[in-house]
Amino acid sequence: MGATASQLGKDLLSEYQELTFLTKQEILLAHKRFTELLTREERDLNLNTRVPMARILTLPELKSNPFRKRICYVFSTSEQKDGSLTFEDFLDLLSAFSDSATLEIKSHYAFRIFDFDDDGTLDRGDLEKLVNCLTGETDDTQLTPDEMRQLINNILEESDIDKDGTVNLSEFQHVISRSPDFVSSFKIVL
Amino acid sequence: MEKHKAVNFVRLLSDESVQSSLSSDSCEYYQTEIFDQLPSIQASRPNQSSHVEPCETSQGGPEPKEQLSHGHLSRGSKDKTSLQPLRNLPVCMQGKRTARDRRNMQISNIGFWESWRRSQSISRRRVSAHISESLSGLVPWRHTLHTIEGRFGVGVKAYFVFLRYLVYLNLLHCTLICGFILGPTAFYGRSKNSEPLRYGGNDSVLDFVLGKGYLDRSPVFYGFYTRGSLNLQCLNTPLLYFTGIITILFISLIMVVRRTTRGYKHTWMLGKRHSMNVSYKIFCGWDFTIQDPDAATLNRNFIRNDLKLFLEEQSFSLRAAQRTIGQKVRLYLLRFILNLVVLSLLGGAFYLLYFSSQISQTKDDYYWLVKLVLQYLPPITITTVDLVLPVIFRKISSFEDYSFTTQVNVTLVRTIFLKLSSLGIYLFFIFTTTYQQRCWENHFGREMYKLCIFNFLATFCNAFLWNYPRKLVQEKHPSSCVARLMGKKHFLIPFNVLDRVYSQTVSWVGVYYCPLLPLIGTVTLVATFYIQKFTVLRCCVAEQRMFRASSSSVLFHFMLLLGLFMAAATLGFDLYNHVVTEDVMGACGPFQNMETIYNVTGVCVNSLPISARKTIGYLTSEAFALPLLVFEIIILTSYVSRGRANQRAIERLKDMLVMCSSDKRFLVKQHATMLRRRHIRPGCSTAPVEDTHLSPQKHAPPCTSTG
Repeated sequence: MGATASQLGKDLLSEYQELTFLTKQEILLAHKRFTELLTREERDLNLNTRVPMARILTLPELKSNPFRKRICYVFSTSEQKDGSLTFEDFLDLLSAFSDSATLEIKSHYAFRIFDFDDDGTLDRGDLEKLVNCLTGETDDTQLTPDEMRQLINNILEESDIDKDGTVNLSEFQHVISRSPDFVSSFKIVL
Repeated sequence: MEKHKAVNFVRLLSDESVQSSLSSDSCEYYQTEIFDQLPSIQASRPNQSSHVEPCETSQGGPEPKEQLSHGHLSRGSKDKTSLQPLRNLPVCMQGKRTARDRRNMQISNIGFWESWRRSQSISRRRVSAHISESLSGLVPWRHTLHTIEGRFGVGVKAYFVFLRYLVYLNLLHCTLICGFILGPTAFYGRSKNSEPLRYGGNDSVLDFVLGKGYLDRSPVFYGFYTRGSLNLQCLNTPLLYFTGIITILFISLIMVVRRTTRGYKHTWMLGKRHSMNVSYKIFCGWDFTIQDPDAATLNRNFIRNDLKLFLEEQSFSLRAAQRTIGQKVRLYLLRFILNLVVLSLLGGAFYLLYFSSQISQTKDDYYWLVKLVLQYLPPITITTVDLVLPVIFRKISSFEDYSFTTQVNVTLVRTIFLKLSSLGIYLFFIFTTTYQQRCWENHFGREMYKLCIFNFLATFCNAFLWNYPRKLVQEKHPSSCVARLMGKKHFLIPFNVLDRVYSQTVSWVGVYYCPLLPLIGTVTLVATFYIQKFTVLRCCVAEQRMFRASSSSVLFHFMLLLGLFMAAATLGFDLYNHVVTEDVMGACGPFQNMETIYNVTGVCVNSLPISARKTIGYLTSEAFALPLLVFEIIILTSYVSRGRANQRAIERLKDMLVMCSSDKRFLVKQHATMLRRRHIRPGCSTAPVEDTHLSPQKHAPPCTSTG
């Protein structure tokens, strides 16, 4: 613990505290878990070391999550868009999923996680992928195409307030804000 | 640094010019360049402007993207973001740093005090979360409920939650009984001329089943509680007894009404106008805290089943809307005839009940087993009728061509009617036949006791003598004739709920005459929980179609409310009867020697100081009731009208939104076609020109900064 603290540095630690919703202990724990993911050679490098997505996904907190890949893509700042995370990206992830993050932040990131094609709206394709993630993607667990069409029509009917055929961020947040248990379920704590 | 800047800028420019030439070809609404620059889109999509650029160019200096994003952001969104604390920005860490630089904030080194304060507030919140979590860990059967939910869905889980709620309710009743009735009696004793409680003489074990002999003299029944040494004017056994019972009924009323309204608000009010049901299921469906792969599979199954049920219901309502007039007439005729059949079945059931209660009153000397059966004949009849008729009702309702939920509801309404009215009729019979006996309250309590016991026995036998063997036959000889005939057991929530509601009603009706009924109820409910858990997990197959959780829990509580009203009505009728016929009162129990609840409370009120007496007099008079009523009506009216006004405003705002969005789409389309036309015209098709036309204010700042 002492070693990791010294490795992070006091200034950096307090900066992280200012910029994220995490406490000092959580940041240190995150650092510890993150360095465990690094190989021996990478540990000696600086904080900008990227951990590839495959290794991030071995974390038990993400392993059984159907959106695990999307989460990595959304929080990754890699230019290759390969979903690899630096330590700071990892902190961003934990901050958004922490208990103390606001509903606004959470719903924003939820929206981006569900926006599979990254075009800023949830269109029919996104919704279809989302539903498939929820029900399981094998053939016997998926909904039939008819059911899927009907379901997506229903979602759009309810949430697409301005009737443009897609759900945009404010419409999404409108739905989310009425759900009592979103904040408690959109949570990943190490 | 300078070099980096230039490179970045070039890259950005070239990217965008490629994009824009693409977009002018396709008329796709969302891909159009102009759409991205609309102020509303910019405001709702800060990530596009501030996330991608600063983060991708994290090595470059902050200046160029700074100005870029300034150009992007409309005034409104800038104001909004500059007020928020940095960590509330939905951008990556580097983006937050840039934002901080933009705000010209110093790298505030968080001091010791600030850091401590912040981590204290967070850890306080965490501790409270932990406490509530560990408290909810103390809540019994959480794991069981979770397993059941995963395999059978929310509906079955809602039933078990309901069961647990009933256990709590009965426990609360028990404490009230202890505080108001058992405690004082144990502490202050009973009246001097009451005989001491002793087991012996011609008592037998059979008495425990029949509620006679020893049990009749025990604290189980009304007759035991006589006025002891606690004999003040306003604090004596009769008053405490009565207050205890009234408190139980009143608290039950408040609790049940609260649960009902909470559910009601969620389902009906929200459900009709702006229902967000499916969207909730999709957008908030996944529980991100799940780590266990099994739990993840459970959650998936549950979501899938829930969605399937929803879709099925909907496609049914579509089919129902397409019926022709001829079909409708035929259907209504059929429903009418089937309703007649139901009514005649009900009539037959009531006659059977009357017949059996007549027989059970015969006083011949039979062998003890025959006597036992005879004594238990009315409960047996009620239970058999309640077991057989709902099955027939279910078959009938499947002919009536209702949707799945309506089918269940119709059957349920019929069954409720059957159960509650058969109980009511039975109560009436007991009233009329036992009224002339000495200490008839004990007799009445005994009947309720028997009903309660027999109900539990029926649950027990149903599980172990019918469902379990059936399951065994299924497993051993899956292809045999018997197995196919019996079919697989589905867990029918509504009917199980009705059973529980029925026994709770019996408990409420009987609590005045048999104060230990809540205790018996608690024990039987806990046992029932385990029996039902066994039945569900071992003997049942998961329903293909699942019952809705939220609406079903409203229904459960509504039925409970009906039962409670019935209990209150019984008690009220009883008390009223005492006033009308004053002679029979006072044979046993707390109210002896010509006392009634009215003169006991009268004595108490008269002993109070004059001002208190006047206040009570005023509170119970019409002069108070009328203003209260008027006041309530006014409040209610104002709420209703405010609700309507809000509703109208919401509708209008929604229309406005739709209009705005269609305007926007129209303008974007127009712009795109204009662009394309210009594109086709020779000489004007170079990308940079088009780009500056497209978004002059966007690229102007970088140009000046580099130039």
